[in-house]
Amino acid sequence: MAEPSGIGNSIPLDNPGLDIAAGEEFLQEVFQILLEEGVRKSTDVTQKVCDWKEPQELRELLDLELRNEGEEQERLLQRCRDVLRLSVRTGHPRFFNQLFSGLDHHALAGRFLTETLNTSPYTYEVAPVLVLMEEQVLAKLRELVGWSSGDGIFAPGGSMSNTLAMNVARFQRFPESRSKGTWDLPRLALFASQESHYSILKGAALLGIGTDNVHLVRTDERGKMIPEELEKEIQRVKAEGSEPLFVCATSGTTVLGSFDPLDAIADVCARHGLWLHVDAAWGGSALLSPQLRHLLAGIHRADSVTWNPHKLLTVGLQCSAFLLHDSSGLLQRCHGAGATYLFQRDKFYDVSLDTGDKSPQCGRRADGLKLWVLWKAVGTQGLAQRVERAFAATRYLLEQVKRREGFQLVMEPEFLNLCFWFIPPSLRGQDSSPEFWDKLGKVAPAIKEKMIRRGSMMVGYQPHGSRVNFFRQIITNPAVTRQDLDFFLDEIQELGWDL
Amino acid sequence: MHWNFHAKDGREPLWISHKQNNANLVGVCKQEMLQKKNAVLVDGVILNGPIMDSKAGETFVEEACKIIMEEVVQKADDVTEKVCEWQAPEELKQILDLEMRDTGECHQKILQHCRDVIKYSVKTNHPRFFNQLYAGIDYYSLVARFITEALNPSVYTYEVSPVFLLVEEAVIKKMIEFIGWEEGDGIFNPGGSVSNMYAMNLARYKFCPEIKEKGLSGLPRLVLFASEECHYSMKKAASFLGIGTENVYFIKTDERGKMIPEELEKQVQRARKEGSAPFLVCATAGTTVLGAFDPLDKIADICEKHGLWLHVDASWGGSALISRKHHRLLHGIHRADSVAWNPHKMLLAGIQCCALLVKDNSGLLKRCYSAEAAYLFQQDKFYDVSYDTGDKSIQCSRRPDAFKFWLMWKALGTTGLEERVNRALALARYLVEEIKKREGFQLLLEPEYANVCFWYIPPSLRKMEDGPEFWQKLHQVAPIIKERMMKKGSMMLGYQPHRGKVNFFRQVVISPQELIESKKN
Repeated sequence: MAEPSGIGNSIPLDNPGLDIAAGEEFLQEVFQILLEEGVRKSTDVTQKVCDWKEPQELRELLDLELRNEGEEQERLLQRCRDVLRLSVRTGHPRFFNQLFSGLDHHALAGRFLTETLNTSPYTYEVAPVLVLMEEQVLAKLRELVGWSSGDGIFAPGGSMSNTLAMNVARFQRFPESRSKGTWDLPRLALFASQESHYSILKGAALLGIGTDNVHLVRTDERGKMIPEELEKEIQRVKAEGSEPLFVCATSGTTVLGSFDPLDAIADVCARHGLWLHVDAAWGGSALLSPQLRHLLAGIHRADSVTWNPHKLLTVGLQCSAFLLHDSSGLLQRCHGAGATYLFQRDKFYDVSLDTGDKSPQCGRRADGLKLWVLWKAVGTQGLAQRVERAFAATRYLLEQVKRREGFQLVMEPEFLNLCFWFIPPSLRGQDSSPEFWDKLGKVAPAIKEKMIRRGSMMVGYQPHGSRVNFFRQIITNPAVTRQDLDFFLDEIQELGWDL
Repeated sequence: MHWNFHAKDGREPLWISHKQNNANLVGVCKQEMLQKKNAVLVDGVILNGPIMDSKAGETFVEEACKIIMEEVVQKADDVTEKVCEWQAPEELKQILDLEMRDTGECHQKILQHCRDVIKYSVKTNHPRFFNQLYAGIDYYSLVARFITEALNPSVYTYEVSPVFLLVEEAVIKKMIEFIGWEEGDGIFNPGGSVSNMYAMNLARYKFCPEIKEKGLSGLPRLVLFASEECHYSMKKAASFLGIGTENVYFIKTDERGKMIPEELEKQVQRARKEGSAPFLVCATAGTTVLGAFDPLDKIADICEKHGLWLHVDASWGGSALISRKHHRLLHGIHRADSVAWNPHKMLLAGIQCCALLVKDNSGLLKRCYSAEAAYLFQQDKFYDVSYDTGDKSIQCSRRPDAFKFWLMWKALGTTGLEERVNRALALARYLVEEIKKREGFQLLLEPEYANVCFWYIPPSLRKMEDGPEFWQKLHQVAPIIKERMMKKGSMMLGYQPHRGKVNFFRQVVISPQELIESKKN
């Protein structure tokens, strides 16, 4: 064996700089813990959904401080167990808090694989499988939207996908703005419904368009954008001197789960030459179901679409597709920088496969793999069944809510968002009294606190428009059963009874 | 202790108990469910039991993990394995059978797909993968990532993600200590490019908060400065933010790739004379190609003088802060207003792990980005809602990227991370010495960091006269060698033309698995 070479501070360089055997052993041990605590138990109703701790107490339990010296394996294993125990189980059948929940085993395997491969799908040379896979998955999603060609990219979340849409729309109309900036452009106007996601505002601020220039269009009593109001609003801003550019229709709004009338909105956009973006982050997965796709009728007329499989399809955060109808290379022209250290032109393969330059990101996660594995495992039909099941579960719960005393629907749901108030006995029959709504607004937070402290379930609430706090029940998890739904109502009743 | 939710009526949760052999199962087992006696049908869908077979699913995950362990993790340090299994795109498409069909496939088939994905993917954890600014494998980070994948959280509010929110806070605090600030703010982002974008927007917001509402239309042109060696995300961010790539003024660098402060001063003066509004300087600590470090102290002087926001893009070089021996490369960084630092690069924290750190502690980050959505950031929660930090972000849902860094830090300690950096730079130094000794290898410049840039001059060109013909021929050498190494699968190394210089190799030294032996090859 050659003499050990030490350069500089006598760092021996002949052997690897980490203990591989110990590392692999640690990984194996954690696998076992993870399979039990993280996978098996995460979908087990007999487990708590969350183990509530006050922030200060949790800090102490976790012992967050990062020190000079490393710790032993046993200590680290205990940390892993603690993290699993003290985290919210979003795969639990009674986690209804967000627009995502559940654990799909196939997608999980895909996610473990993505982590282990640890790479960025910017070029074919560095990530051949993942680059091809992303293209395949995006094409499939486009097919479901109704496009036989097009473009797109995965983005780190629906907010980013929506922002990409705005940027591409701006670039299409003002290609020079990419290099010159937007200083000399007229004041642009963007439109979205009152129920739209707040990322439209955040995106407008980031892009330098300004939140004042996002015009929120009135919705009807079902939370759907009113096309006539859109038309009015466009005329109004034009008269004020702004230039309308972009309309964001929402397919599945965040709180009410309503679907804007896409055909009518597309007509308005066509009339005024505006870019139509459909934020289908939440509702896009309804396209998989022959029974439900009518909710997005007209979506093929969009210029761009956001669709987040990490919501209803249980694929795991993050998985957000930005889909573009254009296939002329608009996305590449809009975002590409052609950096010579990464996107060399003299490679030995077809460099049109180096799709990473289409993104404003450089390094990026390979979010397509987990969706691909899931799709391969269950097929389009399997995914459709999940969507339909979630819908059926919602209808079941709706019927129960209507039957039970003390539960009052906010509105008939179009999709999966079941919004309702629980009126405790003490407030029943008093809805004409002025303090009724005020008092009712305090009920949901109180029940939420109790359920979290108990760890029995989690469901979201919010005030909305002129309405006081109401619950927003979302079912996405395929593991949810009728029993879980019955329990859900029983629990709310029990926790809220004496308020 | 089991939490019995059905104590009242004594019913048990209705599970599908699976007795069949798991091997041929598909994801949906409707047949079995239909056979259950009290099937509750709504809209033709059975709701008694879950739609997935948990047991089969768990077995599948176990088997997939086994494959991942054997085929990726255990082979990661094995130099006799190939770095890549090159296939032309059309062939690869055939092999992978990418098509997504109406019906699902059985578990064995899916597991085979996993094996294929592994086989044909580039092994970025191989000791001879030198292609990018990331490489290698850290077991603790990997463990942490498996944990977060299984938990699938979103780090917006304390109620939904208590552990990961507190962990992020602790990690940011620690990183800030290394920068040299007493206090500060920060957030983890999906990439250094996004961190740079955040910083640019933040600087703009500080300069003129009204832009958030009113936008840029009709305002005087804002101008920012970055070295000509800076990362291309500065351009992408400028155009994304509506500032325009032309309003990024690139400052000349010296022969070592470092920004020349006098040139920066000149450009700032020029911008003022033109009537545009300078607002931001981006210094790079560890440039992408050459690994050069801009002189932060001098640049900070200029920024102070002109009232400009100083952002330091330390995505690549930031990790040197952890090394007592090498942190002088970033001397002056405490004078920055914001810093981008990617632990997923030299520290092997796993993609993605990127922080934007901000000196301001007055809530600037939150004011700049928040939208206060009532459905997510309720003010009437029963806990202190200042913990709901998600509104500081451009994103809504967000991954717990700080956790893997935290667990790795717990495992290795600061000294372990420091050793990692020192080792990488020692290996780079060793390589430089070897290159100088060997005939046919020509160094581009003495590296400051871990980027070793060199030409390989094949024997046929060694006697050739220096001139355009020589350089033109040399330009073709690296692409050919790259093609050969990839088809052989022995190694991966990046090359690029750069600032008038023909294609040269950029060897990036990171992975702790690298040995002297592999360096020699």
